[in-house]
Amino acid sequence: MSSARALELVGDPEIAARIVPLTRLSEKRGHRPTGLAALDALLGGGWPRGALSELCGARSSGRTAIIRAALVAALAAGEATALIDAGGRLDARAIPSGRTSAAPLWIRCTADQTLKAADLVIAAGGFGLVAVDLCDQTGRIPDAAWMRLRHAARAQGTTVLVSAARARLGSFAAAAIELTGTAAFLSDGPPLFSGLDVQARCRRVGHEADPPPDQSRPPCVSLAFTCRS
Amino acid sequence: MRVFQMNGEARRAGVRDGMTAAQAAAAAPGLQIFRATEADAEAGAAALADVGYAFAPRVERDGDRIYFAVDDLGRLYQHETAIAQAVQAQAARIGFGARVAIASSRGAARVAARAHELAVVPADRGAARAFLASLPIALLTDDDELRAAFRRWGTRTAGAVAALPAQAVALRLGTAGAAVARLARAEDDEPFLPQPPPDALEEAVELEYPIAELDPLSFVLRGLVDRALERLASRSLACAELTLRLSLDPRGLDVRTIPIAAPTREAKPLIELARLDLARRPPGSPVVGLHVIALPARVRATQLDILRPSGPAPNRLAVTLARLAALVGPENVGAPTPVDSWREEAIAVKEYAPSPAAGDAAPPSQTELPLSLRRRRPPEEIEVLMGRDGPTALRGVETTARVLIAAGPYHLSGEWWQDAASGGSWAREYWDVHASDGAVYRLHRDARDGRFYLDGYYD
Repeated sequence: MSSARALELVGDPEIAARIVPLTRLSEKRGHRPTGLAALDALLGGGWPRGALSELCGARSSGRTAIIRAALVAALAAGEATALIDAGGRLDARAIPSGRTSAAPLWIRCTADQTLKAADLVIAAGGFGLVAVDLCDQTGRIPDAAWMRLRHAARAQGTTVLVSAARARLGSFAAAAIELTGTAAFLSDGPPLFSGLDVQARCRRVGHEADPPPDQSRPPCVSLAFTCRS
Repeated sequence: MRVFQMNGEARRAGVRDGMTAAQAAAAAPGLQIFRATEADAEAGAAALADVGYAFAPRVERDGDRIYFAVDDLGRLYQHETAIAQAVQAQAARIGFGARVAIASSRGAARVAARAHELAVVPADRGAARAFLASLPIALLTDDDELRAAFRRWGTRTAGAVAALPAQAVALRLGTAGAAVARLARAEDDEPFLPQPPPDALEEAVELEYPIAELDPLSFVLRGLVDRALERLASRSLACAELTLRLSLDPRGLDVRTIPIAAPTREAKPLIELARLDLARRPPGSPVVGLHVIALPARVRATQLDILRPSGPAPNRLAVTLARLAALVGPENVGAPTPVDSWREEAIAVKEYAPSPAAGDAAPPSQTELPLSLRRRRPPEEIEVLMGRDGPTALRGVETTARVLIAAGPYHLSGEWWQDAASGGSWAREYWDVHASDGAVYRLHRDARDGRFYLDGYYD
């Protein structure tokens, strides 16, 4: 529907400007909250829907905590989520839950099975967020696999969040965040591990078709993760 | 090979139940013999009954005929011919060329159906008698002796039989003859004995040779499932559970039930689930017979919310979970759940069920989040160099580093009430160490053997 036709129908230019054609409702675009205000600001709204996003960083850089935050946010919004966990390293204390009964679909697999499992889950449709944790896997992953995942994510409107020790997706990622963590210990008395201070730097952001990123967006943000054990 | 079913023409030519193929061919030259099994015949009769259940709640099965009441269909169809045509179309949909007749009595309907492809016998007794009058006696009864008796009396049609005095016919031909005479006068009182639909719907096939491979078995299964679903759809039902009964060569049965997430009429997910189950637990011997039992259920209508995500479709999710289970093992797919244990590494997997559609509002964004462990399962045994204040270096398969800061030890023990078979008691000294590779590891020393284990790293 053209804007002129919308104006003709409703008469009010302000309302006419807010009319969205039904055909555009199927464009599963936009962003989903990351669960962290600072990260939302860095990404310009959150993780892009219907696209691949990447989270990379060394050990103890907060990747798992950020994945957990994204899963919690999606579960709280009533969406189905999945965590594909190479090595099955999820901690019982880190089980995300949006409400008492909601939990993600957890798939423990080997490194070789990770992308195949992700492909199956995304193709099922209806999953809002699929987190793929490659853990410390370093083997080469062919571009065709990422291309296939990107196509499936776009078709289903699923946010696919890939976590790896180093950047793996290249130009297949609509958003890429690099993390650097610093351990914080309480030194007043015997040392006590208190948490991680994490610097998140944005390497790539937004859908391909999005306008250029806002220049006022911060290049990096600080995040704090506390240890409660 | 013996004859167990025949059409009227073959019967009139002298073919009888139980004859061998050679005897039947000799009795009726030019007889066409089709190879079929008891299972085929039973499945066919059941499928024919389903045609009736598509129109009525109760149906009487009588060999290759079915009877059901159509009194209540007047609201849906303008006239009785339309009802008969609808029944015929329904039968054609599942592959039967059926003759349909509507009459006010069971016997009149049977005779009319034998005479015409589609017939509506008037409800008025006089008109019904006139309708039947021109029909030959052979259509009234299959009893050869009765037919011969009526022929000897010079009666050729139902009208002629109807004109005979009832008392005289009963006196000479007994109750069977009297029943034929009543039928000819459209006064038959054959009881209508309908049965409710069976609890489960069955389709079966007996194979001519054993099948050991999955692909050919899936091919056979597809035909059976398609037929079962077609029959369920004719009753406005869906399949809620599928049971496969495989007859094995040379003997034995393999019975397996395939749970289905939600009642469905789609063949593809059902076959996929059955296929995955067969691939996961192949039958012990080649299969010579396949029996599919479908549990009928009403299709559940779900009201989706326009403003909230709908989640995965139950049937597609079930297939996906089955595929994932085949890929990574069923114990590795599900929803993670904590275990009532003091062991830090304990975690369990329960059956996954997506959250209900209604969701809370998105939680407010947080500025600080709890840290969790990226855990090694099972904990990896490592070498640790101990100094005066704790670990000073550690070496494992993936980790070799100096320890910059060590926090601990934290003593934990528990489950002393468990016997050795259940894992027994445990006692550990935990350390959080900041290593020179930048990671913060959690490790423990087992108090029983003094060895160090790497639990994982904070992430």
